[in-house]
Amino acid sequence: MNLTVNGKKAAIADKESLSISGLLDELNVADPLYVTVELNGDIMERINFDSTLVRDGDEIEFLYFMGGGRG
Amino acid sequence: MTIKTPQLRFESLVVHGGLETGTCGPTTVPIIQSSAFAYGTASALEDVFRGRKTGPVYTRLGNPTTEALEKRLAFLEGGVAAVATASGMAAIATAVMSIIRSGDEILASASLFGGTFSLFRDTLSNYGITTRFVDPTDVAAIRGGVTDRTRLIFVETIGNPRIDVPDISAIAAAAQEAGIPLVVDATISTPCLARGCDLGADIIVHSTSKYINGTGSTIGGVIIDMGRFGWRNDKFPHFAPFVKRYREFAFTARVRKLIHKDFGACAAPMNSFLLTEGLETLALRMEKHCANAIALAHFLNGHPKVTWVRYPGLAESPFHEVAARQFGGRFSGLLAFGLADREGAFRFIDHLRMAKNAANIGDAKTLVIHPASTIYCDYETEDKALLGVAEELVRVSVGIEHKDDIIEDFAQALGEA
Repeated sequence: MNLTVNGKKAAIADKESLSISGLLDELNVADPLYVTVELNGDIMERINFDSTLVRDGDEIEFLYFMGGGRG
Repeated sequence: MTIKTPQLRFESLVVHGGLETGTCGPTTVPIIQSSAFAYGTASALEDVFRGRKTGPVYTRLGNPTTEALEKRLAFLEGGVAAVATASGMAAIATAVMSIIRSGDEILASASLFGGTFSLFRDTLSNYGITTRFVDPTDVAAIRGGVTDRTRLIFVETIGNPRIDVPDISAIAAAAQEAGIPLVVDATISTPCLARGCDLGADIIVHSTSKYINGTGSTIGGVIIDMGRFGWRNDKFPHFAPFVKRYREFAFTARVRKLIHKDFGACAAPMNSFLLTEGLETLALRMEKHCANAIALAHFLNGHPKVTWVRYPGLAESPFHEVAARQFGGRFSGLLAFGLADREGAFRFIDHLRMAKNAANIGDAKTLVIHPASTIYCDYETEDKALLGVAEELVRVSVGIEHKDDIIEDFAQALGEA
């Protein structure tokens, strides 16, 4: 499966299904509790991380905020 | 970057909180005295601007030395994030303006620091913001003062110079019922006496120039977000995109990305260093401030020339019970007392030998001031009355000197008053 992650092409091993939560694990994304996920330009609600599956061609951004605290 | 909250006690957190340790690094926070931060590639800097990576870009927006101070203060108050500012007034103005919009109302304590009173009544009123002032120790008056346009409640943990103590948890309950945030200025109590997360505040502000610095060397302020107010609320549609994107950091994101960035009242790295250094001795200093203040309050209370004393540590203070519960039996270092009249107050101040006559509080040194003729000299008589600024009032910020030296200095000056 080919994705665009943070503006760069990323090839992910094909799986039957891969959720956003699964992708966070797969890519070992830093600070998964605090990261904001943007899927194809839309900001995702955290409650949908488990139920939303990524598809070939998706564009995903992992975004962080901020200095000055725990985020 | 995520920092694990160390499971340390307060006295240790003020020394270690938020400081990342490497295999070989400085034991103090380095002063990163740089306006901007260079990145090796165009895409690396783009990643930081877009939020794909965290990192400093420009000191008005963030600086590693300032970030260390912010992290430590966020830990100490039990908040999720903090924004350090150029002064305490910058913290209050930035926090409040990040919440309200033209047409909104602030419900504020009538027992406020003069600068805050002026900001609310004289400055923000020019931009369509109305402030209603109510007695912060009257929770019924606070509930009654909330209108459908009220967007925040603002109180001080210990009023300056009225030295009254509102019941913060009761006001927090009123704010919660009204669906609006409670902003608390905790400058005088500091997180040493009560942490923001325990008080029930949604947002804490400090003038860090005071007890947090502790030596009167540095001006600064901080906004600390408890991260628990529900901004997903009909009263705050302007928060919707921030809630969606930043969740519990919605308020701090709005502070950083709008008011703090656009008004530019940022902390200087050198000041952040000095404040972090000062913070390390906060617990020790507050113990001494509190002990000296109660000793001085008792001395003044028994002096024939003193007409009244305001200090919540005195058993006869109307605020003793709530302060004892709220601050764990400590009452900070600020008190006020009355002499016969303004002339008596002037004579007393003129004859002090050790205590300094200065417009500041929270210094290691004992400071006094006659507020009516200084901080409040431009205020009308009725405004002074509202704020508790009597002509015979002397405000004292009790320092950490030997208590007998403070009392002896006051005794000899009172002899001349």
